[in-house]
Amino acid sequence: MTTLNRLNQYRVMWVLVFFDLPTETKKERKQYALFRKNLLKDGFSMFQFSIYTRCCPSRENADVHIKRVKSFLPPNGYVGILCITDKQFGSMELFLSTKPIKASTEPQQLELF
Amino acid sequence: MIKRTLYFGNPAYLKARDEQMVIEYPGGDTESKSIPIEDIGVVILDSPQITITHVLLNKLLENNAAVITTNERHMPSGLLYPLESNTLQSERFAVQLTASVPLKKQLWQQTVQTKIQNQAALLKSVGVDVEPMLYWARSVRSGDPDNYEGRAAAYYWKNLYMGYINDIIFTRGRNEDEPNNLLNYGYAILRAVVARSLVASGLLPTLGIHHHNRYNAFCLADDIMEPYRPFVDKVVLEIVKEGLDYTQLTKEIKAKLLVIPAMDVKIDGKSSPLMIATQRTTASLYNCFNGASRKMLYPTFS
Repeated sequence: MTTLNRLNQYRVMWVLVFFDLPTETKKERKQYALFRKNLLKDGFSMFQFSIYTRCCPSRENADVHIKRVKSFLPPNGYVGILCITDKQFGSMELFLSTKPIKASTEPQQLELF
Repeated sequence: MIKRTLYFGNPAYLKARDEQMVIEYPGGDTESKSIPIEDIGVVILDSPQITITHVLLNKLLENNAAVITTNERHMPSGLLYPLESNTLQSERFAVQLTASVPLKKQLWQQTVQTKIQNQAALLKSVGVDVEPMLYWARSVRSGDPDNYEGRAAAYYWKNLYMGYINDIIFTRGRNEDEPNNLLNYGYAILRAVVARSLVASGLLPTLGIHHHNRYNAFCLADDIMEPYRPFVDKVVLEIVKEGLDYTQLTKEIKAKLLVIPAMDVKIDGKSSPLMIATQRTTASLYNCFNGASRKMLYPTFS
Protein backbone atom coordinates (compact mmCIF):
# COMPACT_ATOMS: atom_id res chain seq x y z
CA MET A 1 0.00 0.00 0.00
CA THR A 2 1.28 3.43 -0.77
CA THR A 3 2.21 5.02 2.50
CA LEU A 4 2.04 8.73 2.23
CA ASN A 5 5.34 9.91 3.54
CA ARG A 6 4.11 13.44 3.62
CA LEU A 7 1.65 12.53 6.33
CA ASN A 8 4.70 12.41 8.55
CA GLN A 9 4.71 16.14 8.26
CA TYR A 10 1.60 15.87 10.35
CA ARG A 11 3.84 14.55 13.11
CA VAL A 12 2.16 11.38 14.18
CA MET A 13 2.34 11.38 17.97
CA TRP A 14 1.70 8.76 20.61
CA VAL A 15 0.16 9.75 23.90
CA LEU A 16 0.97 7.49 26.84
CA VAL A 17 -0.90 7.59 30.12
CA PHE A 18 0.57 5.85 33.17
CA PHE A 19 -1.34 5.62 36.37
CA ASP A 20 -1.23 4.25 39.87
CA LEU A 21 -4.61 4.61 41.49
CA PRO A 22 -5.62 3.58 45.00
CA THR A 23 -8.17 0.78 45.15
CA GLU A 24 -8.59 0.49 48.90
CA THR A 25 -12.20 1.56 49.25
CA LYS A 26 -15.22 0.89 47.11
CA LYS A 27 -15.35 4.55 46.11
CA GLU A 28 -11.74 4.52 44.96
CA ARG A 29 -12.31 1.38 42.92
CA LYS A 30 -15.24 3.08 41.26
CA GLN A 31 -13.14 6.14 40.45
CA TYR A 32 -10.45 3.89 39.06
CA ALA A 33 -12.93 2.02 36.85
CA LEU A 34 -14.40 5.28 35.60
CA PHE A 35 -10.99 6.69 34.72
CA ARG A 36 -10.09 3.55 32.81
CA LYS A 37 -13.44 3.59 30.99
CA ASN A 38 -12.94 7.22 30.02
CA LEU A 39 -9.53 6.38 28.60
CA LEU A 40 -11.08 3.62 26.48
CA LYS A 41 -13.82 5.99 25.33
CA ASP A 42 -11.20 8.46 24.23
CA GLY A 43 -9.61 5.84 21.99
CA PHE A 44 -6.80 4.72 24.26
CA SER A 45 -5.93 1.06 24.33
CA MET A 46 -4.16 -0.93 26.97
CA PHE A 47 -0.45 -1.32 26.43
CA GLN A 48 0.23 -2.87 29.83
CA PHE A 49 -1.80 -2.87 33.02
CA SER A 50 -2.10 0.81 33.95
CA ILE A 51 -0.27 2.01 30.81
CA TYR A 52 -2.54 3.16 28.01
CA THR A 53 -1.54 4.48 24.59
CA ARG A 54 -3.21 6.35 21.78
CA CYS A 55 -1.93 7.22 18.34
CA CYS A 56 -2.74 10.77 17.25
CA PRO A 57 -2.31 11.90 13.64
CA SER A 58 -0.94 15.30 14.61
CA ARG A 59 0.50 17.24 17.48
CA GLU A 60 -2.62 19.37 17.66
CA ASN A 61 -4.73 16.25 17.91
CA ALA A 62 -2.46 14.89 20.64
CA ASP A 63 -2.98 18.13 22.57
CA VAL A 64 -6.74 17.60 22.33
CA HIS A 65 -6.48 14.15 23.87
CA ILE A 66 -4.03 15.23 26.57
CA LYS A 67 -6.44 17.97 27.51
CA ARG A 68 -9.28 15.48 27.58
CA VAL A 69 -7.38 13.10 29.87
CA LYS A 70 -6.70 16.03 32.19
CA SER A 71 -10.42 16.77 32.24
CA PHE A 72 -11.29 13.36 33.71
CA LEU A 73 -8.38 12.80 36.09
CA PRO A 74 -9.33 10.79 39.17
CA PRO A 75 -9.40 12.76 42.45
CA ASN A 76 -6.74 10.53 44.05
CA GLY A 77 -3.80 8.77 42.52
CA TYR A 78 -0.66 9.31 40.52
CA VAL A 79 -1.03 9.85 36.76
CA GLY A 80 1.65 10.53 34.15
CA ILE A 81 0.94 11.76 30.62
CA LEU A 82 3.71 11.50 28.04
CA CYS A 83 3.64 12.50 24.41
CA ILE A 84 6.28 11.10 22.05
CA THR A 85 6.76 11.01 18.31
CA ASP A 86 5.95 7.97 16.24
CA LYS A 87 9.66 7.50 15.57
CA GLN A 88 10.48 7.39 19.23
CA PHE A 89 7.61 5.03 19.93
CA GLY A 90 8.67 2.84 17.04
CA SER A 91 12.22 2.53 18.38
CA MET A 92 10.96 0.94 21.58
CA GLU A 93 12.22 -2.59 22.08
CA LEU A 94 9.67 -5.11 23.26
CA PHE A 95 10.24 -8.58 24.65
CA LEU A 96 8.00 -11.47 25.50
CA SER A 97 9.93 -13.75 27.83
CA THR A 98 13.30 -12.66 26.42
CA LYS A 99 12.05 -13.09 22.86
CA PRO A 100 11.89 -9.81 20.95
CA ILE A 101 8.40 -9.06 19.57
CA LYS A 102 7.13 -6.48 17.14
CA ALA A 103 5.53 -3.32 18.39
CA SER A 104 2.12 -2.27 17.11
CA THR A 105 2.52 0.18 14.28
CA GLU A 106 0.59 3.37 13.76
CA PRO A 107 -2.79 2.98 12.07
CA GLN A 108 -2.79 3.80 8.38
CA GLN A 109 -4.78 6.68 7.02
CA LEU A 110 -6.43 4.20 4.68
CA GLU A 111 -7.33 0.74 5.89
CA LEU A 112 -8.83 -2.09 3.91
CA PHE A 113 -10.65 -4.78 5.83
CA MET B 1 -6.77 16.96 11.04
CA ILE B 2 -6.65 14.21 8.51
CA LYS B 3 -9.36 11.66 9.11
CA ARG B 4 -9.15 7.99 8.32
CA THR B 5 -10.73 6.14 5.43
CA LEU B 6 -11.99 2.64 6.16
CA TYR B 7 -12.91 0.22 3.41
CA PHE B 8 -14.76 -3.01 4.17
CA GLY B 9 -14.58 -5.53 1.36
CA ASN B 10 -14.97 -8.66 3.46
CA PRO B 11 -17.67 -10.02 5.78
CA ALA B 12 -17.59 -8.17 9.09
CA TYR B 13 -19.68 -7.28 12.11
CA LEU B 14 -19.43 -3.61 12.89
CA LYS B 15 -20.58 -2.25 16.20
CA ALA B 16 -19.86 0.49 18.69
CA ARG B 17 -18.36 0.11 22.12
CA ASP B 18 -16.97 2.90 24.30
CA GLU B 19 -17.13 5.41 21.41
CA GLN B 20 -15.00 3.06 19.35
CA MET B 21 -15.92 1.23 16.20
CA VAL B 22 -15.35 -2.46 16.83
CA ILE B 23 -14.70 -4.73 13.89
CA GLU B 24 -15.35 -8.41 14.40
CA TYR B 25 -15.06 -11.16 11.88
CA PRO B 26 -17.58 -13.96 11.53
CA GLY B 27 -16.22 -17.20 12.88
CA GLY B 28 -14.29 -15.26 15.44
CA ASP B 29 -10.85 -16.68 14.63
CA THR B 30 -9.41 -13.30 13.71
CA GLU B 31 -8.92 -10.85 16.51
CA SER B 32 -11.34 -7.96 16.65
CA LYS B 33 -10.11 -4.41 16.09
CA SER B 34 -11.28 -1.10 17.41
CA ILE B 35 -10.95 2.35 15.93
CA PRO B 36 -11.91 5.67 17.56
CA ILE B 37 -15.06 6.87 15.80
CA GLU B 38 -13.97 10.49 16.04
CA ASP B 39 -10.92 9.71 13.87
CA ILE B 40 -13.00 8.33 10.99
CA GLY B 41 -13.70 10.41 7.91
CA VAL B 42 -15.01 7.98 5.31
CA VAL B 43 -16.43 4.46 5.68
CA ILE B 44 -17.02 2.38 2.57
CA LEU B 45 -19.22 -0.68 2.97
CA ASP B 46 -18.48 -2.94 0.03
CA SER B 47 -19.52 -6.43 0.93
CA PRO B 48 -23.03 -7.89 1.07
CA GLN B 49 -22.06 -9.64 4.27
CA ILE B 50 -21.54 -6.65 6.51
CA THR B 51 -23.71 -6.25 9.57
CA ILE B 52 -23.72 -2.82 11.14
CA THR B 53 -25.52 -1.75 14.28
CA HIS B 54 -27.80 1.23 14.46
CA VAL B 55 -25.84 2.70 17.35
CA LEU B 56 -22.68 2.67 15.27
CA LEU B 57 -24.40 4.27 12.27
CA ASN B 58 -25.73 6.99 14.51
CA LYS B 59 -22.35 7.62 16.09
CA LEU B 60 -20.66 7.76 12.70
CA LEU B 61 -23.16 10.40 11.61
CA GLU B 62 -22.73 12.33 14.84
CA ASN B 63 -19.04 12.50 14.10
CA ASN B 64 -19.73 13.62 10.56
CA ALA B 65 -18.26 10.60 8.83
CA ALA B 66 -19.37 9.91 5.28
CA VAL B 67 -20.82 6.40 5.04
CA ILE B 68 -20.82 5.06 1.51
CA THR B 69 -22.66 1.91 0.45
CA THR B 70 -22.04 0.06 -2.77
CA ASN B 71 -24.14 -2.03 -5.11
CA GLU B 72 -23.54 -5.52 -6.46
CA ARG B 73 -21.14 -4.13 -9.06
CA HIS B 74 -19.10 -2.62 -6.20
CA MET B 75 -19.85 0.88 -7.39
CA PRO B 76 -20.84 3.43 -4.75
CA SER B 77 -24.65 3.55 -4.66
CA GLY B 78 -25.47 5.62 -1.62
CA LEU B 79 -24.10 8.21 0.76
CA LEU B 80 -25.30 8.79 4.28
CA TYR B 81 -24.70 12.20 5.75
CA PRO B 82 -25.91 13.90 8.90
CA LEU B 83 -28.97 16.15 8.95
CA GLU B 84 -27.44 18.29 11.59
CA SER B 85 -23.75 18.82 11.69
CA ASN B 86 -23.33 22.55 11.91
CA THR B 87 -24.73 24.49 14.83
CA LEU B 88 -25.65 27.45 12.66
CA GLN B 89 -27.39 25.27 10.13
CA SER B 90 -30.67 27.16 9.61
CA GLU B 91 -28.89 30.51 9.39
CA ARG B 92 -26.46 29.10 6.86
CA PHE B 93 -29.17 27.43 4.81
CA ALA B 94 -30.99 30.76 4.67
CA VAL B 95 -27.88 32.55 3.42
CA GLN B 96 -27.35 29.89 0.80
CA LEU B 97 -30.97 29.95 -0.35
CA THR B 98 -31.01 33.71 -0.78
CA ALA B 99 -27.71 33.92 -2.67
CA SER B 100 -28.20 36.15 -5.70
CA VAL B 101 -28.05 34.86 -9.24
CA PRO B 102 -25.10 37.13 -10.21
CA LEU B 103 -23.13 35.84 -7.23
CA LYS B 104 -23.82 32.23 -8.16
CA LYS B 105 -22.78 32.97 -11.73
CA GLN B 106 -19.54 34.52 -10.56
CA LEU B 107 -18.80 31.56 -8.33
CA TRP B 108 -19.46 29.24 -11.26
CA GLN B 109 -17.07 31.32 -13.37
CA GLN B 110 -14.32 30.84 -10.80
CA THR B 111 -15.12 27.16 -10.56
CA VAL B 112 -14.91 26.60 -14.31
CA GLN B 113 -11.76 28.67 -14.60
CA THR B 114 -9.97 26.66 -11.94
CA LYS B 115 -11.24 23.41 -13.39
CA ILE B 116 -9.90 24.23 -16.86
CA GLN B 117 -6.59 25.41 -15.42
CA ASN B 118 -6.23 22.22 -13.42
CA GLN B 119 -7.13 20.11 -16.43
CA ALA B 120 -4.58 22.04 -18.46
CA ALA B 121 -1.88 21.43 -15.86
CA LEU B 122 -2.52 17.69 -15.98
CA LEU B 123 -2.54 17.68 -19.77
CA LYS B 124 0.70 19.59 -19.79
CA SER B 125 2.31 16.95 -17.60
CA VAL B 126 1.63 14.34 -20.27
CA GLY B 127 3.03 16.60 -22.97
CA VAL B 128 -0.08 17.91 -24.70
CA ASP B 129 -0.29 21.44 -26.09
CA VAL B 130 -2.41 23.35 -23.59
CA GLU B 131 -2.51 26.76 -25.26
CA PRO B 132 -6.20 26.43 -26.21
CA MET B 133 -7.08 25.28 -22.70
CA LEU B 134 -5.40 28.30 -21.14
CA TYR B 135 -7.14 30.56 -23.64
CA TRP B 136 -10.52 29.07 -22.71
CA ALA B 137 -9.75 29.41 -19.01
CA ARG B 138 -9.01 33.11 -19.51
CA SER B 139 -12.13 33.68 -21.56
CA VAL B 140 -14.67 32.20 -19.15
CA ARG B 141 -17.30 34.82 -18.42
CA SER B 142 -19.66 35.05 -15.48
CA GLY B 143 -21.88 31.96 -15.50
CA ASP B 144 -19.88 30.49 -18.40
CA PRO B 145 -22.53 31.32 -21.05
CA ASP B 146 -20.19 30.26 -23.86
CA ASN B 147 -19.79 26.81 -22.28
CA TYR B 148 -16.02 26.87 -22.30
CA GLU B 149 -16.26 24.13 -19.70
CA GLY B 150 -17.66 21.76 -22.31
CA ARG B 151 -15.19 22.79 -24.98
CA ALA B 152 -12.28 22.31 -22.62
CA ALA B 153 -13.64 18.95 -21.48
CA ALA B 154 -13.91 17.70 -25.06
CA TYR B 155 -10.30 18.68 -25.76
CA TYR B 156 -9.14 17.32 -22.43
CA TRP B 157 -10.68 13.87 -22.74
CA LYS B 158 -9.60 13.55 -26.33
CA ASN B 159 -5.97 14.03 -25.35
CA LEU B 160 -5.57 12.86 -21.77
CA TYR B 161 -5.35 9.11 -22.24
CA MET B 162 -4.01 9.33 -25.81
CA GLY B 163 -1.11 6.95 -26.21
CA TYR B 164 -1.87 5.04 -23.03
CA ILE B 165 -5.01 3.29 -24.16
CA ASN B 166 -4.41 1.52 -27.41
CA ASP B 167 -6.72 0.69 -30.28
CA ILE B 168 -9.74 2.55 -28.94
CA ILE B 169 -10.44 6.23 -28.67
CA PHE B 170 -11.28 7.11 -25.11
CA THR B 171 -14.74 8.52 -24.49
CA ARG B 172 -15.67 9.82 -21.11
CA GLY B 173 -19.08 8.70 -19.97
CA ARG B 174 -20.70 6.93 -17.11
CA ASN B 175 -21.33 3.70 -19.00
CA GLU B 176 -18.47 3.81 -21.47
CA ASP B 177 -15.46 1.50 -21.62
CA GLU B 178 -12.62 1.32 -19.14
CA PRO B 179 -11.01 3.20 -17.48
CA ASN B 180 -14.34 4.98 -17.01
CA ASN B 181 -15.12 2.52 -14.23
CA LEU B 182 -12.09 3.77 -12.32
CA LEU B 183 -13.04 7.38 -12.93
CA ASN B 184 -16.60 6.75 -11.72
CA TYR B 185 -15.31 5.11 -8.58
CA GLY B 186 -12.83 7.89 -7.89
CA TYR B 187 -15.42 10.59 -8.51
CA ALA B 188 -17.87 8.86 -6.17
CA ILE B 189 -15.27 8.95 -3.40
CA LEU B 190 -14.49 12.57 -4.18
CA ARG B 191 -18.19 13.43 -4.18
CA ALA B 192 -18.62 11.87 -0.75
CA VAL B 193 -15.67 13.82 0.59
CA VAL B 194 -17.01 17.08 -0.85
CA ALA B 195 -20.56 16.41 0.39
CA ARG B 196 -19.16 15.72 3.84
CA SER B 197 -17.29 19.03 3.83
CA LEU B 198 -20.38 20.88 2.63
CA VAL B 199 -22.58 19.62 5.43
CA ALA B 200 -19.79 20.35 7.89
CA SER B 201 -19.84 23.96 6.67
CA GLY B 202 -23.60 24.07 7.20
CA LEU B 203 -24.53 24.13 3.53
CA LEU B 204 -27.13 22.14 1.65
CA PRO B 205 -25.40 19.81 -0.81
CA THR B 206 -28.61 19.63 -2.83
CA LEU B 207 -28.91 23.20 -4.01
CA GLY B 208 -26.24 23.88 -6.59
CA ILE B 209 -24.74 27.08 -7.97
CA HIS B 210 -24.83 25.74 -11.51
CA HIS B 211 -26.01 22.11 -11.60
CA HIS B 212 -29.77 21.98 -11.18
CA ASN B 213 -30.87 18.56 -12.33
CA ARG B 214 -34.12 17.95 -10.48
CA TYR B 215 -33.17 14.31 -9.92
CA ASN B 216 -29.76 15.04 -8.49
CA ALA B 217 -29.53 15.30 -4.71
CA PHE B 218 -25.94 16.50 -4.77
CA CYS B 219 -25.92 19.44 -7.16
CA LEU B 220 -23.74 21.63 -4.98
CA ALA B 221 -21.30 18.81 -4.32
CA ASP B 222 -21.09 18.26 -8.06
CA ASP B 223 -20.38 21.97 -8.61
CA ILE B 224 -17.70 22.22 -5.97
CA MET B 225 -15.91 19.03 -6.95
CA GLU B 226 -15.32 20.16 -10.54
CA PRO B 227 -11.85 21.66 -9.95
CA TYR B 228 -10.93 18.57 -7.93
CA ARG B 229 -11.73 16.10 -10.69
CA PRO B 230 -8.31 16.35 -12.40
CA PHE B 231 -6.73 14.98 -9.22
CA VAL B 232 -8.79 11.81 -9.65
CA ASP B 233 -7.95 11.78 -13.36
CA LYS B 234 -4.30 11.87 -12.43
CA VAL B 235 -4.57 8.86 -10.11
CA VAL B 236 -6.40 6.94 -12.85
CA LEU B 237 -3.79 8.01 -15.37
CA GLU B 238 -1.07 6.62 -13.15
CA ILE B 239 -2.91 3.31 -12.83
CA VAL B 240 -3.30 3.16 -16.63
CA LYS B 241 0.35 4.07 -17.13
CA GLU B 242 1.48 1.33 -14.77
CA GLY B 243 -0.08 -1.15 -17.14
CA LEU B 244 -2.28 -2.79 -14.51
CA ASP B 245 -5.31 -4.69 -15.69
CA TYR B 246 -7.97 -2.14 -14.90
CA THR B 247 -10.94 -3.87 -16.52
CA GLN B 248 -11.86 -5.12 -13.06
CA LEU B 249 -11.91 -3.04 -9.92
CA THR B 250 -9.49 -5.15 -7.94
CA LYS B 251 -8.57 -4.57 -4.35
CA GLU B 252 -5.20 -3.26 -5.43
CA ILE B 253 -6.77 -0.67 -7.72
CA LYS B 254 -9.31 0.35 -5.11
CA ALA B 255 -6.52 0.88 -2.61
CA LYS B 256 -4.91 3.28 -5.07
CA LEU B 257 -8.18 5.13 -5.65
CA LEU B 258 -8.97 5.35 -1.96
CA VAL B 259 -5.82 7.35 -1.39
CA ILE B 260 -7.65 10.26 -3.04
CA PRO B 261 -8.88 11.84 0.24
CA ALA B 262 -5.30 11.92 1.55
CA MET B 263 -3.74 13.10 -1.70
CA ASP B 264 -1.62 16.20 -1.62
CA VAL B 265 -3.12 19.24 -3.26
CA LYS B 266 -1.94 22.80 -3.32
CA ILE B 267 -4.43 25.29 -1.95
CA ASP B 268 -3.81 28.92 -1.07
CA GLY B 269 -0.08 28.41 -1.68
CA LYS B 270 0.21 25.53 0.76
CA SER B 271 0.18 21.78 0.37
CA SER B 272 -2.54 20.00 2.23
CA PRO B 273 -4.42 16.71 2.02
CA LEU B 274 -7.40 16.83 -0.33
CA MET B 275 -9.86 16.18 2.49
CA ILE B 276 -8.64 19.29 4.30
CA ALA B 277 -8.64 21.32 1.10
CA THR B 278 -12.31 20.53 0.44
CA GLN B 279 -13.14 21.83 3.89
CA ARG B 280 -11.36 25.08 3.12
CA THR B 281 -13.20 25.30 -0.17
CA THR B 282 -16.61 24.85 1.41
CA ALA B 283 -15.78 27.30 4.17
CA SER B 284 -14.79 29.87 1.54
CA LEU B 285 -18.04 29.13 -0.33
CA TYR B 286 -20.02 29.99 2.77
CA ASN B 287 -18.04 33.22 3.11
CA CYS B 288 -19.05 34.05 -0.45
CA PHE B 289 -22.70 33.32 0.26
CA ASN B 290 -22.77 35.56 3.32
CA GLY B 291 -20.94 38.38 1.57
CA ALA B 292 -17.67 38.26 3.51
CA SER B 293 -15.69 37.42 0.40
CA ARG B 294 -16.06 37.15 -3.33
CA LYS B 295 -13.40 34.60 -3.98
CA MET B 296 -13.52 30.88 -3.55
CA LEU B 297 -10.51 28.90 -2.45
CA TYR B 298 -9.76 26.13 -4.89
CA PRO B 299 -6.72 23.90 -5.17
CA THR B 300 -4.30 24.40 -8.01
CA PHE B 301 -2.83 21.49 -9.82
CA SER B 302 0.93 21.34 -9.93
